[in-house]
Amino acid sequence: MSSWYMKPNSEADIVTSTRIRLARNIKGIPFPSGMTDEQKKELKEKIKAVITESNTPFSKKLKYIDMANVPEIEIKAMVERHTISPEFVINPQGKAIILSEDESISIMIGEEDHIRIQVILGGLCLEEAYDIASNIDDMLHSALHFAFDSNLGYLTECPTNLGTGLRASLMLHLPALEGSGEIRSLSDTVNKIGFTVRGIYGEGSKSLASLYQVSNQVTLGLSEKNAIENLKIIATQLIEKEKALRESFEKLKLEDTVYRALGTLKYSRVLSSNEMMNLISRIKLGISMGILSTDILPMKLFVENQPYMLMKKHGEISPQERDSYRASDIREAFN
Amino acid sequence: MKCEKCGINEATTHIRSITNGVIREYNLCSGCAMEKGYTSNHNSLTGMLSSLFGEFLTTSASVDTKKCPVCSATFNDIAKSGKAGCTECYSTFREELLPYLKRVHGSTKHIGHVPNNAPIMVVKQQDTVDSLRMELNRLVREEKYEEAAIIRDKIKKLEGKENE
Ligand SMILES: [Zn+2]
Ligand SMILES: [Zn+2]
Repeated sequence: MSSWYMKPNSEADIVTSTRIRLARNIKGIPFPSGMTDEQKKELKEKIKAVITESNTPFSKKLKYIDMANVPEIEIKAMVERHTISPEFVINPQGKAIILSEDESISIMIGEEDHIRIQVILGGLCLEEAYDIASNIDDMLHSALHFAFDSNLGYLTECPTNLGTGLRASLMLHLPALEGSGEIRSLSDTVNKIGFTVRGIYGEGSKSLASLYQVSNQVTLGLSEKNAIENLKIIATQLIEKEKALRESFEKLKLEDTVYRALGTLKYSRVLSSNEMMNLISRIKLGISMGILSTDILPMKLFVENQPYMLMKKHGEISPQERDSYRASDIREAFN
Repeated sequence: MKCEKCGINEATTHIRSITNGVIREYNLCSGCAMEKGYTSNHNSLTGMLSSLFGEFLTTSASVDTKKCPVCSATFNDIAKSGKAGCTECYSTFREELLPYLKRVHGSTKHIGHVPNNAPIMVVKQQDTVDSLRMELNRLVREEKYEEAAIIRDKIKKLEGKENE
């Protein structure tokens, strides 16, 4: 396995990544938002022991990291590469994470729930990601005995996660559906059947880079298998619509858009994060449509040129310096 | 807390977003949240939930005397935040919570993965045995025999319980 953004574009074309998250909690103590520092410490130690003491080949591949010891830049860079949730950044003192080397597996301790198991893989692989998450769930459960109710399922802080505690998400690259405006009505429709579509970069409805996240919303009364199958059906329909629309593009116009993006990336001296994301999105489209043939991994560039990822690489640089480092790193990648 | 966009309505939607590495928090009313495009995410569901609870709060204040034995949350606390205090809250306030769960999920009965050694009911077992059988067949087809053996043991265990 490798990090989700390292997958070749051919295998992660419209679906760039798959994410599975399971929310789990332990009986007898408050949820993290109401825990004392002492309780948080105990929880971290307990889970650390489970991983370090279980001597399976699998658990040996996992690393326990106390978030209190992680520098702020690295924490925010982890958010940028989707290893942790944005919520996990706040008050790192009481939190810890268990990570696989490629970060495809991350077990967050002390997020909204006591434990959140996350598996993130490149491309469309819901079943594979769920199987990995479910195995970790079983492994942890045998030592921790998660709170489970025969009627309400797994118990979570937020009642919206009760039941399976599963959030399955796909990140989709939908430039055509966005360009035609159809994404809005499609997301309304999807919303009505218990799923959500939202832009994941940029705020609210204004999406950047045409990347959208589709996730299940209902967790009670629907099995994991069904939730995943339904999500796959929805995604498949979105993919088909996106592909059909892409075919209707005027070839010359599309080529022009793609090559202009390439030109800017190859020669610019200052590149903001937003501009970079939008340009890479066009490059990604160009690769998918067979206009560009290149070994470049668009999502890798996308992730590695986020602000904190750049600071991780180049040290504590100002936003202005960041934009110039970004431009030069990208120039290097394309030339 | 008032909505920070219109300043009129109560803020029910709390949004935390990271843009260019900067964390921003917004507290909006549901109308303004919708306008900004936060119509369908998890946060607005939480907001919706607490407004659903809010509806209920005005009609019954009597449940407020009951406290969760583990975290000492009252139903009022849960309704305000849209969040439970601990797992025990769900047994303490089960009756009060069910109508809202029904409205959010359209169901109040878990279907799906059941952990080992969980106290399960007979009806549930039937479901599980069936789904485990399907899983077993799949694993055998894929020649994942080690995993299949684990599933087979699970089925045996469940069937054993049913015959008791
Ligand atoms: Zn407002
Ligand atoms: Zn409680």
